[in-house]
Amino acid sequence: MGEYVWFHDVSWHASYAIYFFVIGICAGLSFLSYGSWLTPALRPLREKAAYGSFVLLALGGLLLIADLSQPLRFFNVLNPAYLSFTSPLAWGSLNIAAFGVASVLYVLALNKGDEARGRLLATVTALLALGLPVYTGYDLAVHQSRPVWNTPIMPVLFVALAVASGSAVGSLLAGANEAAQKVLHQYMLWSTAAVGVMLVSILGTTHYGGSASELTFMIMTTGTMGLIFVGAGILAGTAAPVALLLAPMGRQQNGLMLSALLILVGSAALRYALLMGPQQLQTLY
Amino acid sequence: MSEELRVSPIETRGVAGKRRFAMVVDTRRCIGCMACQVACKAEYDTPLGVNRTWVPYKVVGKYPNVKRQFLPRLCNHCDDAPCVRNCPVEATFKVEDGGFILQRYERCIGCRSCMAACPYNARFMLPSHRTYTPITNVVDKCTFCFHRVTQNLVPACVQTCIGRSRVFGDINDPKSEVSYLVANNATQVLRPEEGTKPHVFYIGADRNATEFGRDAYHKPEVMEPERSAFKRNFKI
Ligand code: SF4
Ligand code: SF4
Repeated sequence: MGEYVWFHDVSWHASYAIYFFVIGICAGLSFLSYGSWLTPALRPLREKAAYGSFVLLALGGLLLIADLSQPLRFFNVLNPAYLSFTSPLAWGSLNIAAFGVASVLYVLALNKGDEARGRLLATVTALLALGLPVYTGYDLAVHQSRPVWNTPIMPVLFVALAVASGSAVGSLLAGANEAAQKVLHQYMLWSTAAVGVMLVSILGTTHYGGSASELTFMIMTTGTMGLIFVGAGILAGTAAPVALLLAPMGRQQNGLMLSALLILVGSAALRYALLMGPQQLQTLY
Repeated sequence: MSEELRVSPIETRGVAGKRRFAMVVDTRRCIGCMACQVACKAEYDTPLGVNRTWVPYKVVGKYPNVKRQFLPRLCNHCDDAPCVRNCPVEATFKVEDGGFILQRYERCIGCRSCMAACPYNARFMLPSHRTYTPITNVVDKCTFCFHRVTQNLVPACVQTCIGRSRVFGDINDPKSEVSYLVANNATQVLRPEEGTKPHVFYIGADRNATEFGRDAYHKPEVMEPERSAFKRNFKI
């Protein structure tokens, strides 16, 4: 009724969610490739996961740069004279750059069949890969005025999402390899369950929070955003695959494939909703 | 007490030898003519669809006792500004002498971190459809009219304000008008809980206007058709 507000836009658009999704799988695959050095069952995935991770890094990097309104100034972020270490994005860019270099060296070592160097580079790559979901989560968590984002659990949630979606892609790549699927079954189950626990905790604290939190909770659980967040993200993409993986069917290949697909759909929906939902309220302030 | 509490080294309020500019907006005197918005647009060639300052209103009260509650808005030139912390390339920075939060347009990469960090929607992306000024596709915001203030002029919005609702000055100077107003009136800042230490002080701001409305979830219907038409036609 009789009200005048100005047109405010959200700061980060949906393309950023695609970046989160791609870079999460990239990190997850990197963990798997590293895992193959410790768990013999994952050995057949070593090269596939490393190459997949590398391709997704290139794709994610391009998405990230294309999302800047001044894409050609991307190198400003790597300019030591400009870098501001109070910004998570600065750390993130350094992390991505270092991960890119390590990935190239790792892929080269794998091509050469250099076992000793491969093992070392797999460790370095996986450690740097850990930084990718950590920095993306931290990038959201630092914004003190945004309910849902502003929780220290956000980087951990993004790590769990990366493990879940990386293992899901790994499971799709592993096909009929039973030994690998057995390990991936565990990875998918526990990482998705961890995502579920963190989501419940985030939803609970948001619901109990102040007026901004309360309104954000309403935005995220009703309407189209509710359908994406609760419907696709929590029910279909987290609860359903956990239930499926616990059931006997979840140990068979069809059940695993279905769980993997659900996890991928769910983790894409969650990233979208977690990015866009908490931005809606402030556009009205 | 809380006004004196300085937590972050970037803060300059009350630091001897430094100026710290602030604005006082006396909402009781604002008549909602939006002349400040127009003056700002003229000063900076701010393109269509975005604003450095804007004057939203809410109709409050029950018929027949209703009134429009205006709340002129702009960048708060926060003393501990989250936008500055969040910029990865220091394209957003604080001018120590005066406390202006300014932009380096030639350095900004357009990552919009600062927009996400600002709790007040004070920042916007300059669209490419700009008429006279070649600065486009970078983030912009109110500068407290840095170029005018450093020439001993007041900001364009203050100069034009017909109700003398907007008052500008150095709050570190005890003899300034803003110091007097802040010392002698109950003032509010927007979203103080964010710890940003805003330097736009409101007198008589109704909490209906300064808080998230309960109706935030039900977007104001009157504006929705215009809002979606605008978004269709202008890519910002
Ligand atoms: S109001 Fe927003 S843009 Fe202005 S200084 Fe504060 S945080 Fe930065
Ligand atoms: S959009 Fe520009 S000013 Fe804002 S944080 Fe990014 S580089 Fe800094």
